[in-house]
Amino acid sequence: MKAIDPRILTPTMVRISEAADMTAQERFFRLRLSRPLGHRPGQFVMVSVPGIGEAPISICCGPGDHDRLELLVRSAGSLTMVLRRLEAGDQVGIRGPFGTGFDLADFEGRDVLIVAGGLGLAPLRSLIEPLILDRQRFGRITIISGCRTPADELFGREMRAWSRVPGTRVIRLVNDTAHLPWDGEVGLVTAPIAGLDMDPAATLAVLCGPPVMYKFVIMELAGRGLAHDRIFIDLERRMRCGIGKCGHCQINHLTCCQDGPVFRLSTVQSLPEALA
Amino acid sequence: MKNRLPRPRIAFFDMAGCEGCQLAILDCEDIFLDLVDLVEIVQFREAMSETAPRYDIAFVEGSIHREIDADRLRDIRARSHRLVALGGCACHGNVQARANDWAPAENLQRVHGADTAHRVQTDGRYWPLWAHTRVRALHEVVEVDYLLRGCPVDRDEFLHLVKRLLAGSRPTFPAQPVCVECRRHGNECVFLQGETCLGQVTRGGCGAVCIGGGYRCDGCRGLLPDANLASHRQLLRERGLDAEAIDQRYRLFLSGEITDREGTDEQ
Amino acid sequence: MGSYLVERSVFIDWISRLARHEKVYFPLPVSKSSFRFSRVRSRSRLALEDFDDPRQAKPFRASACIPPPVRLLAPDNELLFTFRRDSAGDCHPTPVLDHNRRILAGVRPCDLKAIALMDRFQGDGIADPYYLARRGNTLLIGHDCLQPCDEYCFCEAAGSLSWRQGADIFLTPQPQARLLVEPLTDQGAALLADAGFPACSDVQACRARAAARRPTPFARQFKAPLARVMHAVAESWQSPVWERHAGRCFSCGTCNLVCPTCSCFDVRDDFNVEDPDSGRRTRHRDACMLEDFAEVAGGYNFRKSPAARQRHRVMRKFVYLPQRFGGTGFCVGCGRCGRQCTVAIDIFTIATDLLAGAGEAA
Repeated sequence: MKAIDPRILTPTMVRISEAADMTAQERFFRLRLSRPLGHRPGQFVMVSVPGIGEAPISICCGPGDHDRLELLVRSAGSLTMVLRRLEAGDQVGIRGPFGTGFDLADFEGRDVLIVAGGLGLAPLRSLIEPLILDRQRFGRITIISGCRTPADELFGREMRAWSRVPGTRVIRLVNDTAHLPWDGEVGLVTAPIAGLDMDPAATLAVLCGPPVMYKFVIMELAGRGLAHDRIFIDLERRMRCGIGKCGHCQINHLTCCQDGPVFRLSTVQSLPEALA
Repeated sequence: MKNRLPRPRIAFFDMAGCEGCQLAILDCEDIFLDLVDLVEIVQFREAMSETAPRYDIAFVEGSIHREIDADRLRDIRARSHRLVALGGCACHGNVQARANDWAPAENLQRVHGADTAHRVQTDGRYWPLWAHTRVRALHEVVEVDYLLRGCPVDRDEFLHLVKRLLAGSRPTFPAQPVCVECRRHGNECVFLQGETCLGQVTRGGCGAVCIGGGYRCDGCRGLLPDANLASHRQLLRERGLDAEAIDQRYRLFLSGEITDREGTDEQ
Repeated sequence: MGSYLVERSVFIDWISRLARHEKVYFPLPVSKSSFRFSRVRSRSRLALEDFDDPRQAKPFRASACIPPPVRLLAPDNELLFTFRRDSAGDCHPTPVLDHNRRILAGVRPCDLKAIALMDRFQGDGIADPYYLARRGNTLLIGHDCLQPCDEYCFCEAAGSLSWRQGADIFLTPQPQARLLVEPLTDQGAALLADAGFPACSDVQACRARAAARRPTPFARQFKAPLARVMHAVAESWQSPVWERHAGRCFSCGTCNLVCPTCSCFDVRDDFNVEDPDSGRRTRHRDACMLEDFAEVAGGYNFRKSPAARQRHRVMRKFVYLPQRFGGTGFCVGCGRCGRQCTVAIDIFTIATDLLAGAGEAA
């Protein structure tokens, strides 16, 4: 009989060590943990303000034996409105980490293409960090990141830093410059894919973005001959528990919180409800 | 709550309605004093008689009939950070929205009889007030931040809204039918007892108190955004209600919404 | 373990005595036609059906009561944790698990199966500690069915009619107002040890007598074995049947909320007006037929149409959960969803139509 954790649905309170607005909508938090979370890239935590509510938030920092946990929170609902006002020294509750996430061993020696739409960059940063940190273990890294306007760009400074790492290319895009200064490109994340120098047999692609993005990026990748078991997608669903019980995140017979949120496209392509 | 905002200034106003929603709120007497610790009530005709120039949260009860009421509402809106429509009349016009089915003169005659109608119509003091009457929900006049539905409002929903605003959050009122609450509370379905009910097309959040109390749902909280009215109308027909009886049921509380949704009464 | 043959009234006396010092739940009438599992406080409303005339006192209606008994193990408005903030502003959430011992008596085979299926579901992967805490301290007294509830029941077709697993004690009506009382677990045997019931000399004969009393077939039957029905549902993604059964649906969630193997939930946080530094999180039964069930924060709804939601509900019972847990379907054939639906959308009819469609296609 396996151990049952009576606290699995009760948050542990942790303190915010750093909080800063990244855009008008997104706020970045660094939390200080009493012990390392031991998470994998692509996992998520359930974040609580007791008395207000709880929501799934992707972990946006790489794994490691550290007591840091970084989250990027978009104001979208009744909980995130409150999270948005929290400062260093305040507490939040966390549960997790949940989900399968990415296995770094899958990426060893491979070229990696990362395609992020908007907030999708946050969870993928948890993968990009270890790829960059242990650069020689992996092949070429290409990051395509798109957002609406320059004012919506996330982790801009870090993306510039990544682009200076040898063997790493970063393509930053906006849909519209909105009359703001912009040193990247203009267009959708699908646009650069056709022109990439890419060996489909040696490349793994990783996608995260709004539901509508996947279909078009997958079409582009298929056009470049990338097999479906070489494409990872990080899906978003409503979640209430993280332990496969509340039913909200069910995608056909899978639960996004336990079987995902990272899936190989070959696993979910036959599931009609996986992609929008 | 550590992150609570300063005590907000709360005010209550009434337009055309029975003031029953304000009474429903006063009915929170077991916690009313605690509530007053958290908020500053600056205007509440049912309980006190002060006024203040600005409000953090204005609760407005009742529907808008005359242009002078609309002007008063615009003034309240201009002085309020958040405006909450308090109760069915403010949210969708409620029972009095039935008046919109007829021209004011015809309406007057239906309600008060020909003699009275004639007297009013020939009285220069009253008739200008009546002549252009149209019953409006608050959102038809000003921007409304939140809707507290029901006839009267539900005290738990009121408290939920106040607490969420106090905490710097916003209330969540899921658009779920009354049936959900009947099942949660273990109420036996009205239809299975051979009666009819508007629960399937009506927004819940009321705890299904009417059904729990042995009555039925008449739809006071308004139509669900995706209400399957065609199916509901057919069901009522199958249960022996004729078209007129069905319209009567729908138009008791839902006149303000049903015409937009179903179109004219082709059935 | 020895079994007993006891007069029904004597057994009911025993239950009411037991209820003085145990939390005993039993289907009690709440109106002319409906029963609810409620805490037994007196003997007066306890009734069990008669072997010779099972429908006589109509307690057979108790067999599919709403809500189903499994809800006592996962109640609506269930407390998950309480919290308080100390003077330094630090928050301390504390889980609240219910370890109270309780006895559910009069649980029918369909509901025994539903509880067994929920035991597997809730214990799978990361277990739900709240369900398991209640379940681990709950004794089940099952009761056989000699008559189908009504025209909605299809428990035999769903493979539930002869379900015993999970019951600590099992009751089978016998002629002359008697009851076969079989302990099936040590806990059940211990509970019966000092009841003073007369021993049963021929359990097999008693069981056979009850089985012979049942009509054959028992309630509605599929036109093919259950495995073929499940296969037909699995292959039905594009079927026009979904749309046909969705047209009249109100998306009211009743079919989910009365289902003994639906367990989806939402959570709600609250704090106290009188002491805003304390509060709680509770969970509430949710329903995948409700419009916004699969909607994400950005507003995208993965099951926007009623037909897509209907398909998800039915597939979850006949395809998705069986795929994960193997074996039999998660629809136990209790008939509650069809019985409670005001526009007669019935999972049996849907499955039958899908089976017929599969036959035409083949």
